[in-house]
Amino acid sequence: MAARRSKKKSAKSSGAQAASKAKAASTPNSKDNHEFVSEAEEILERMFEDLSRLHEQRHGDTEVAPDLVNQIFRSAHTLKGLAGMFGLDAISELSHRMEDILDALRLGRISVDSPAIDLLDDGVSLLATLMTRLERGESSDEQDPAMVQTYLSRIDEAIRAPEPQTGDELEGLDLDSSLLRALTEYEEHRLRENLRRGRHLVLVDSTFEMIAFEEGLSELSVAVREVGEIVSTLPSPGDAPESQIRFSLLVATEIEPERLASRLDFPNTEVHSIHRGQAGGPSAAKPNSHADSEGAAAETPSGQPVENGPAHAEAGDDSPLASSAAPEIESLRSISETVRVDIRKLDELMNLVGELVIQRAAIAAVAQRLTEDKYTARIGAELTKTHKALDRKLKELQSGVLDVRMVPFRQIFEKLSRVVRRLRRDLGKEVELKFNGADTELDKLLVEQLVDPLVHIVRNAFDHALESPEERTNAGKSPHGCIRVSAFQRGNHVVIEVRDDGRGMNVEAIREKAIERGLISAQETLSHKEVLNLVFEAGLSTATEVSETSGRGVGMDVVRTNLAGMGGLVDLVSVAGRGTTVTITLPITLAIIQALIVGIGEERFAIPLNSVLETMIVEPEEIGHSEGREVLNLRGEPLLLCRLGEEFEIEAAGRDERQFVVVLGMGEQRLGLLVDRLEGQQNTVIKSIKGPLQQIRGIAGATELGDSGAVLVIDVSTIVADAVRRREAA
Amino acid sequence: MSESRPTDSATGLARSNWESLARGAVGHFGSAGSDQESAELLRELLVFGLDGSAYAVSVERVREIVRMKKLTRVPRAPAWLLGVVALRGEVVEVVDLRQRLGLGASTPNRLNRIIVLHGDVDRVTGLLVDSVSEVYRISEDEIRPSQGTDASCVGEICPRGEEFVSILDVERTLGVSDD
Repeated sequence: MAARRSKKKSAKSSGAQAASKAKAASTPNSKDNHEFVSEAEEILERMFEDLSRLHEQRHGDTEVAPDLVNQIFRSAHTLKGLAGMFGLDAISELSHRMEDILDALRLGRISVDSPAIDLLDDGVSLLATLMTRLERGESSDEQDPAMVQTYLSRIDEAIRAPEPQTGDELEGLDLDSSLLRALTEYEEHRLRENLRRGRHLVLVDSTFEMIAFEEGLSELSVAVREVGEIVSTLPSPGDAPESQIRFSLLVATEIEPERLASRLDFPNTEVHSIHRGQAGGPSAAKPNSHADSEGAAAETPSGQPVENGPAHAEAGDDSPLASSAAPEIESLRSISETVRVDIRKLDELMNLVGELVIQRAAIAAVAQRLTEDKYTARIGAELTKTHKALDRKLKELQSGVLDVRMVPFRQIFEKLSRVVRRLRRDLGKEVELKFNGADTELDKLLVEQLVDPLVHIVRNAFDHALESPEERTNAGKSPHGCIRVSAFQRGNHVVIEVRDDGRGMNVEAIREKAIERGLISAQETLSHKEVLNLVFEAGLSTATEVSETSGRGVGMDVVRTNLAGMGGLVDLVSVAGRGTTVTITLPITLAIIQALIVGIGEERFAIPLNSVLETMIVEPEEIGHSEGREVLNLRGEPLLLCRLGEEFEIEAAGRDERQFVVVLGMGEQRLGLLVDRLEGQQNTVIKSIKGPLQQIRGIAGATELGDSGAVLVIDVSTIVADAVRRREAA
Repeated sequence: MSESRPTDSATGLARSNWESLARGAVGHFGSAGSDQESAELLRELLVFGLDGSAYAVSVERVREIVRMKKLTRVPRAPAWLLGVVALRGEVVEVVDLRQRLGLGASTPNRLNRIIVLHGDVDRVTGLLVDSVSEVYRISEDEIRPSQGTDASCVGEICPRGEEFVSILDVERTLGVSDD
C-alpha cells in the first residue's frame, strides 16, 4: 500500500505538466490516437453503464454490489494503463484518480453516499470530452489542463472527509487466525460488511484433483455465488495427497448454512458454519486489531497533497461539462471499427459455408452430366464455366471465414506457463520453459482441444523426464532442466514440438513392461522406434513405470486418442541421456478437411487426406505373406495390409483382381488399406454421428457428398491400431 | 414436478404430466381455441402405417417427415439400424421400425417415409415407415396402456374409428433403454 500511495503523490504533483504533455503528444500521431480511442470508448461505455447501475443501487435500499464497484475499478484501471501506453498523460492521470475513489469505496474507506461518488460521473464525462477531442485530431486548447486540474482538486476535497468507523465484527469470530491474517484489506472489508448485515458465514472446504482443479473450483464458485458472496478463496494445507489440492472458500450468505450445504452437491466438499462470538455484533466496541485499517483510512486524506485543492475549487461546479457529456458519448459510439464475435456464430457461418461447398459439388455433378450429353453439351460447358467462377469465390469465402477463426498459439503457451509455475512450486524443481512460435495460428476450436494433451505431455516431461539437479550435474548437464515448446506451420499442418533435455526414455524398461502386460511376446525383436511407440498403447504408461518418480501415470494412449480425434498425429523420439521430443502434427482447421473418397463394392468411404501418405495400384501377385498376414513390399519395407471390405463385411472385388492400396500413417505406424476404387478428393465437412452409431469402431463420423448422400468417414487411428494389434497377437 | 417436460414422458406417467403434455401440445399448435373451452384433455398423435397396421408417435417428438433418401449402410451396426441419410448437411441415423417391432426386416423403397424424431439432447433419429396418415387428436381418457411386455416398443393404444392405433414409446424404440 505504501508504494501505491507514494506513486499517487508523484503522479499528482506532475499533474499539470502531464496534461500539457498530452496536448503535445496528441497532435503528431493521430493514427495511434485513433487506435486508443477505439479501444478506450468500449471501456468508457461500460463504465458509463456500470455507473448508472451504481446510482440505481445507491438510491434503492439494497446494498451496492461489490462486484459492480470492482468492475468499475477495473475499467478505470485498464483505461489508465491504456492511456499510459499511448502517452496520454492527462487521461491516464484522470483515470488514476477515479481509480482512487473507487479503491477507497471498495475498501470501505468512504461510503457509497460520499460526494466523491458523484464526481465519478463528471470524471467519465470529462474523459469522454478529452477522447472526442483526440479523435477529431483537435489540438487540445488551453482549457484541458485547467479542466483536469479543477476536477482533480474536487476529488481531493471529496475524498478527504473521514468516514465514521464502526465496531469490529471480526473479534470473537470462530475463525482460524491464520485465515484471518491471509485476507487482503478488501476481503476483510467485505467480511465486516457482510457481518454488519447479519449474514451467515460459512467455510466451504473442497478438495480437487490437481489436474482439473481450475474447472472444479470455478464450478463450485459459480454454485456458491448463486446463494452468497465469496469473500475469499484460499488454498488450504490439510492432509490432501500430492495429486490433490484443497481450497477453503469463505462465504457470506443470507440462507441457513444447512441449506447451503444441501445445495452444494459437490464431491469432497464440506461446509462448516462459522459462529460469531459474544463480542461480535454491530454494536461491538472498537478493539485494537482494527487499528491497521483505521490507520490507513486516516492516512489517505492526509497523504494527499493539498496545494492544488482549494485554489481551483470555485470552478468546480462547471455545469457545461456535465451537460455536454451525453452528446459526446453518443458521438464516440460511432467511431469503433472492431467487433467481438461469439465463436458459435462463426461455427454457424462455417456450417453454412460447408453446406455451400456441398451444393457446389452437386452443381459440378450436374454440369458434368449436361456436358456428357451431346444435346446439352453447350449448356453444360457454360454451367461448368459459371461453376468454376463460383468455386473460386467460394474458396475465398471459405478462407475468409477460416481466417477469422484463427487464433495465435500464445493462448496455449500462457496456459502451459501456468501449469509449469504450479509444478515448480509443488515439486520444487527448477525447470525452464521456453516457447517458440507464439504467433503461429490455429483454429480456435483446435486450440481449445489441444490444451489438455499438451498439458499432459509437459507434465510428463516435468515430472518424469527431467532429473533432479544433482543427477543432472553428475551427468554433466546444467542443473536446471529445460522444456522447449515450439509451434510452426508446415504446409496445411501445424507442428507442435515438446522437447525436454531430460534422461530420455528407458527403452528396456518399456519393453519389459510391455512383455509383462502381454502387449508383445518376449521373443519379439522390436526396433528402438517400435518400442517407443508402445508408449501410446493403452495399459502401458511410462509415467508410473519407467522413471523412479512415483507418477500420476498420465496415459500417453489418451493423448494419442485425443489427438487422433482432431485428425492429428503424435510421434516420439527419445535419446537416452539427452532427452525426449514429442511431435504433434495437426491440420490447421477442423472445419473443412480434404478427404480421399474410396469405393468398395457398392459402398463409398471418406478417408481424411492428412492421414494418407500415398496411394498405388497393386496386382494380386504382388501381395505377399508374413507371419500369417498379408503384406506388400513397399520399397524394401514390409507394409501390413488390411482389406477394408473384409473388415467391414462388405462385398468387395475378388482377391484375384487388381486393387488400390491407400497407405495410412498414424504416428510411426503404417497400414495399407486395400480398396476397389479411388474416387478422387473432396473438400468435406465431418459430422459426428450421435447415438448408437457413435460407438462403432473404425467410423469417425459421416459427411455429405453432393450427389451420393451420406458417406462414412473412416477413423484411421482405430483401423490402424486394430490391424497392428492383430498382427502382434498372431 | 408438474413442470416436467413432455419429452421426459416414459411409460408410467403421472396424470399431471399428461396434463402438461396436452397443454403443451395445444399451445404449440396454437389452433385449438375450441378445445380449450371444453375441459377435455387432448393429445396429438402422428399416425402412420406399417405392415398394414396403424402406429403413432406424439407430435412433440416429430421434427419433420421426409421422403425416402439414399441410405448409407453402416458396417458393424446393429441390424435394426438401417444406416444413415444426409439431411441438409446433417447426418441422421435411420431405424428399421419393422425390425424393431419384430415384424422382419424392411426392404426400403421409394415410397417409404422417414419420420425424423427429436431424441435426447441433440440426437436426431429417423424412423422408417410405410406411409404417414394424419395428425390425430384424441382425448386422454381414451388412451390406455398396451398389454404388451415391457420390452415392447408400444407403450399405449387408443381407438381410431374402427381400428386401434399403437402408440410408440420413443425411448424404447430408439434403443435408449437397452444396449
